[in-house]
Amino acid sequence: MNATLPVPGPGGADSTGLAGNRITVLQGQAWVSGRAEDELTTILGSCVATCLFDPVAKVGGMNHFLLSEPPHSHDPAEVDVHYGVYLMEILINDMLRQGASKAQLKAHLYGGANLRAGMAPIGTANAAFARAFLDREHIPLLREDLGGSNARRIEFRPATGRVRCRVVENRLASETKPTPRPARSVGDVELF
Amino acid sequence: MLQPIRILTVDDSASMRALLRHALTGQGFDVVQAEDGVAALEWLAGNEVDVVITDINMPRLDGFGLIEQLRCGSRHRDRPILVLSTESSDEKKLRARAAGATGWIVKPFDPDKLIAAVRRVTH
Repeated sequence: MNATLPVPGPGGADSTGLAGNRITVLQGQAWVSGRAEDELTTILGSCVATCLFDPVAKVGGMNHFLLSEPPHSHDPAEVDVHYGVYLMEILINDMLRQGASKAQLKAHLYGGANLRAGMAPIGTANAAFARAFLDREHIPLLREDLGGSNARRIEFRPATGRVRCRVVENRLASETKPTPRPARSVGDVELF
Repeated sequence: MLQPIRILTVDDSASMRALLRHALTGQGFDVVQAEDGVAALEWLAGNEVDVVITDINMPRLDGFGLIEQLRCGSRHRDRPILVLSTESSDEKKLRARAAGATGWIVKPFDPDKLIAAVRRVTH
């Protein structure tokens, strides 16, 4: 599994006694669990969090990303779609491994704010990528809270799909830079 | 005039299929797409292809099963089959190799490396 995406194995994330099984999902990470006591939490500024859950299998997961502009792009409204699709696939594949079915997945999207006026609207571009991805994959988007200029705190119960989204002070959202693609092993080819 | 190389890509993600189509058609390849191993076998039953590029994690029939089924007959015994996967463990690669895969490409794919691999296995 990719080192920047510590997705837990079957059985959920935490067996180490974290109080209330609150698991913080940091930028560049994805986390999947089917345990009713687990709560995935994160704070978003420009970043976007995708919350997916399967209400039948009772498995859910969250990723947290900020994609950069694509290499050699001529369109400043684009983001690195190759890496974005990869991050989404990592999340979905781990959910399937834990019993979810792609046809049953539901989604929520949060974040994508533009915290500072005058800066490039990277949050808007990331939100547009996430919406387009779900639309193309035919994953229903049940709820979104995207854009604006405020940071958000997300609390997500993966087993039930219950989400709480609150506006928080922007200073709580750490200064974020786009998640870089791994420098090595990107697209490595091994012929047998 | 030479016929373009025909590639069948097999992936359950519509987003990944779109990225592959864009990368490969832009280089002059003839691209056909299937959403899982079953759809790929159905299409291959009546059509010819030069290269297969397949994902591993797919519903109905995964990439390992697809490779095994293609290799069990004589028609596709020598067909280049490249795996394109988020997985990169040695165990998965060994399994693919044992099933008869020609090579393994790690996602997110680099279009230039992917195209170089296709050209290498078809020449």
